[in-house]
Amino acid sequence: MAGVGFQRLAKALAKGKGSGLSALVSGCRAASGATKDSLPGAYPKTPEERAAAAKKYNLRVEDYEPYPDNGEGFGDYPKLQDRSQHERDPWYKWDHPDLRRNWGEPMHWNFDMYLRTRVDTSPSPVPWSTMWKQLFGFVGFMLFMFYMGEKFPSYQPIAPKQYPYNNLYLEKGGDPAKAPEEVKNYEI
Amino acid sequence: MADYREAPLATRPKTLDPNEYFNLSPDYRRAEEERAALRANLKRQYQLQLNNPHRTELIEDPALTRWVYARANPYPHFRPTKKTSLLGVMFGVVPLFRPLCLLFALCFTDKFNHGPKCLMFIRY
Repeated sequence: MAGVGFQRLAKALAKGKGSGLSALVSGCRAASGATKDSLPGAYPKTPEERAAAAKKYNLRVEDYEPYPDNGEGFGDYPKLQDRSQHERDPWYKWDHPDLRRNWGEPMHWNFDMYLRTRVDTSPSPVPWSTMWKQLFGFVGFMLFMFYMGEKFPSYQPIAPKQYPYNNLYLEKGGDPAKAPEEVKNYEI
Repeated sequence: MADYREAPLATRPKTLDPNEYFNLSPDYRRAEEERAALRANLKRQYQLQLNNPHRTELIEDPALTRWVYARANPYPHFRPTKKTSLLGVMFGVVPLFRPLCLLFALCFTDKFNHGPKCLMFIRY
């Protein structure tokens, strides 16, 4: 490839249509990677544009479905299934095994979210709605009960504490010579 | 394989999809074959480049280039609609005023202001 380019360069210089530099520039073209029409573009409006976009993204025309055109910046990028890389077959010989992806395969818009280290869309043991209901049911119930407990507190019935020895007359600094008043804390 | 049940936390593999065995309509089969042809073509291109002994550079993936380009350039396709403007205001304008509103609510309204000790609970 590089050899061919060099030959063409020499030929262009030899022909010399204009000055040296312009001959160089017109004679050989660098084989750059992505051309303008292989990059994503605007939302496809006509069926021909749709077919061209499907071919560009290596999808069947029937499979190609762009994101709806509501100004959110998607352009003609295809809308693929929201399945994470967790769900792909672990035993198939992918070209990139850690990403579970083949070369040239169209990537999901949120591919970096659906990696194997991040979001997992595998089926859950119980439907999501059941899980949400259980979680919010329990949390809501507990919150409600705590609120009711605040509104209507209930305590054990209590009375002032009763001490022996005439309500601890001597311990509380009562005069030992004087006779304390009799405190009866019981009934028989 | 007709009595296969899904493993608890895994999706059903494509090879065990009942459509592969029982859906014999020509349209479905043709669609599957077209998809397989596209995949095989891409595989062939990749394998040719991978096993080329004269290759010295990295194999460039045009799908990756397109993805990066699409993610990095959404603004040419942006249009201000109700939804996009709402999202823009919610995530771009409201967070700028949240601390100020919090300060206002804490210090200057009667609900929270218990005398001069208004900000004393905020300690470093």
